[in-house]
Amino acid sequence: MTSLKLNLGPQHPSTHGVLRLILELEGELITRCEPDVGYLHRGMEKMAEKLSYIQYLPLVDRIDYLAGFFYSELLCRNIEKALSLELSPRVKAIRVMLLELNRISSHLLWIGAFLMDLGAVSPFFYAFREREVILKYFEKISGQRMMNNYFVFGGVRNDIFDIEEIERFLEILPHKLDDYESIITDNLIFKKRTVGKGVLDPKIALNFGITGPNLRASGVGYDTRKKDSLYEGFSFSPIVLGNQDSWTRYKIRILEIHESIRIITQAIEKIKANPELNNNFINPLNIVLPEGEYYSEIEAPRGVASCYIKSDGKKSPYRLKWRTGSYYAVNLLRKLLVGEYLNDAIAIAGSLDIILPEVDK
Amino acid sequence: MNYLYFLYIEFLAKHNIPKIFGDITFYVIPACIIFVALILVILVLVLFERKLLGWFTQRKGPNRVGFWGVLQTLADAFKLLCKENITPIGADRAVFNLAPIIMFLPVLIALGLIPFSSEFTFMNFQTNVLIYVILATFPVLSILLAGWASNNKYSLIGGVRNVAQILAYELPISFTVLSVIVLASSMNLTQITLAQSNQYGVLGWYWFPCIIGFGLMLICTLAELNRCPFDLPEAESELIAGYNTEYSGMRFALFYLSEYGMLFANSLFISVLFLGGYLSPFGKYLSPILFSGPVGNILIYFEQAFWLFAKSFLIIFIFIWVRATLPRLASFDLLKFSWNILLPLSIVNLLLMSLLKFFVGGVYA
Amino acid sequence: MDINKFKEIFENTTTIGEKIYIENNLAETVKFVKENYHFDILKEIIAVDNQENGIELIYRLYSAENEEEALLATIVRDEVESVCNIFDSAYADEKEIYDLFGVRFVGNQELKRLYMPEDWKGHPLRKDYMENDERLNWND
Repeated sequence: MTSLKLNLGPQHPSTHGVLRLILELEGELITRCEPDVGYLHRGMEKMAEKLSYIQYLPLVDRIDYLAGFFYSELLCRNIEKALSLELSPRVKAIRVMLLELNRISSHLLWIGAFLMDLGAVSPFFYAFREREVILKYFEKISGQRMMNNYFVFGGVRNDIFDIEEIERFLEILPHKLDDYESIITDNLIFKKRTVGKGVLDPKIALNFGITGPNLRASGVGYDTRKKDSLYEGFSFSPIVLGNQDSWTRYKIRILEIHESIRIITQAIEKIKANPELNNNFINPLNIVLPEGEYYSEIEAPRGVASCYIKSDGKKSPYRLKWRTGSYYAVNLLRKLLVGEYLNDAIAIAGSLDIILPEVDK
Repeated sequence: MNYLYFLYIEFLAKHNIPKIFGDITFYVIPACIIFVALILVILVLVLFERKLLGWFTQRKGPNRVGFWGVLQTLADAFKLLCKENITPIGADRAVFNLAPIIMFLPVLIALGLIPFSSEFTFMNFQTNVLIYVILATFPVLSILLAGWASNNKYSLIGGVRNVAQILAYELPISFTVLSVIVLASSMNLTQITLAQSNQYGVLGWYWFPCIIGFGLMLICTLAELNRCPFDLPEAESELIAGYNTEYSGMRFALFYLSEYGMLFANSLFISVLFLGGYLSPFGKYLSPILFSGPVGNILIYFEQAFWLFAKSFLIIFIFIWVRATLPRLASFDLLKFSWNILLPLSIVNLLLMSLLKFFVGGVYA
Repeated sequence: MDINKFKEIFENTTTIGEKIYIENNLAETVKFVKENYHFDILKEIIAVDNQENGIELIYRLYSAENEEEALLATIVRDEVESVCNIFDSAYADEKEIYDLFGVRFVGNQELKRLYMPEDWKGHPLRKDYMENDERLNWND
């Protein structure tokens, strides 16, 4: 039998952007998979070398448009670290709240999109209905739904308000999640398509640099939030499940939303306890980092994201490097898809939560 | 039909038109009626599906064109008409153009076999059921041709998947239809309908004694129509649009029309087999009660058609509900599901129905 | 630097986040660290073009078990041993660095353009990228 070469993407309904997978099929069995990325490359790292830090700040939200807060937090954190800017407790609590809200919205979108990949239409709209509440709130406080540009060096742009809206939403959300679970989690067809499919051995996952929920679904309890100074004083536990398959990767995201709700509730308490904002702003027009190298890391919804800055004492960084979780997940597809059937391949690739702007940077 | 034929010939004779003209046109007119009616029903059906899907997913559905969105499908049809027909390079032109037509024709013929009321069956053969079952599998030929001729790998995979799927699901359908034939002792759809009218009313219809068969028929019809959760040949997230990836404009519209036409025809077929066809659920027809005299008697035919349509729309509602709820099956699970579960079940069902017929035959005779 | 000498340095390095420079035997050292100290994730490879001082590669290794990080660094001119047989994630990183910096990784079979088109000239993140670009002189 001759093999069939199939170009999955870059324009394909289920590649979540512009991922291109070059597949070699025998019948519907995949014998070789080669991801081809770069269709969305914007030169984020090259741009940084030409721009000052405050000019660069609005761009970094676009690295992952579904979780933009995480990337602006990373850049802010690096610069705060370099200039030793202290954050006031209210700013910290606001940041934690917004980050976790963003994580919820990102996971919700993933649930919808994943089920869409599997051919179920309704969960997509249900998930978007809840996500809409979060995005509306983001728009209210920052003027933007997704690329918020709300965190600035030393604080947040404005104080937040209408926090009751979030409290009300957090009360409803667990019931809505139960609704999703009742239509999805134990659905026979859904289980048939995900249980035991795309098994990701923890050894392989570590070796491929997979982090975040995908790694925790393989039984490795690695969550940078545990060591994160921003999350100090919050009680939460990283969720670790050990079944390694697509179904576990779905379940872990549902549980993470529940965990995020817990964190946000604590953050709201802290926000209420600290009514003074106290931004520690510096003049953004001449930020100059002292010579040296700075790392910062954060647990983004799609795995550990990190930012490396090397400064030579000028207004723009000498070198700026992003680490994004999805990039390594795309690389993993080369191994994970081989030996699977075409329709499982879509489900497995979908379960890894790949988003292309993050891959292409 | 004989009654109508008699009326028609008499009408022509009054105006001094030869009988031969009547003999020819008598079969042309119904075909035109079916064609126009089919297009109208499909327009309603598409709107029905989109509205329902909208409501299932907490949206409004189409609501811009015309009042309450009623003209949306018309607008879409108009748009499709205006679009360019593109034939991809490397496609087999003749087959590529032929495939949509092959898909559309059986739908028209299949609709002619359905008894819409006790007098309106356009083609009333003794073996209506058999012809219908054969016609219902015709789209697979067209889908395979379309997939092959498009010179597109996605289309090809979609077409091949469809053949495997129809092969697997045609057998349970045949056995289920056979069980109904056994119950009714007839292969004529009108006879089957009449066999369901008895003193038990709604419970006398075959869905009740043959509940397994009814379930099987619903599932297998979903598969035969390539509808969710069995929509593998056009699995959007995997194969883009499956066999009709390369089709555009009017050719795509033909595929679209015949898909919905087949959906309608199959739901009519199921309602005839299991839900008593044109029989009224109240045991007797309402129009003679509401309208006295000859008007009431003529309205009976329309009432019968109304009941049949209502039942078929109920079945379509179930199909749409399923589509809004379930994810898609994987192709191998799909085949296993049919060969391992549905086929044995349908054979058991056939045996049960034969026993039922043998021992309690009188009731369902 | 040979492995034994490295071993000494590595065990005496207490501050995590401090780079340990490796002059040669890079792949062997990475393998050694991975196998003996449970550094099982290669988080990323950072490349920095230090112009006349060559290109600096920083390997960020992380141990999920001991929750600690090690930074191995090396200076390369244009060729370096690949670590893709030790860490599969290095495929991705090395590809990216090849594309953006032009560092050739010996042993990686998959080196080709990643973000840039196949026929692209130059490597964009090198500091001398625009200086030699003929497109800058388009109006001459």
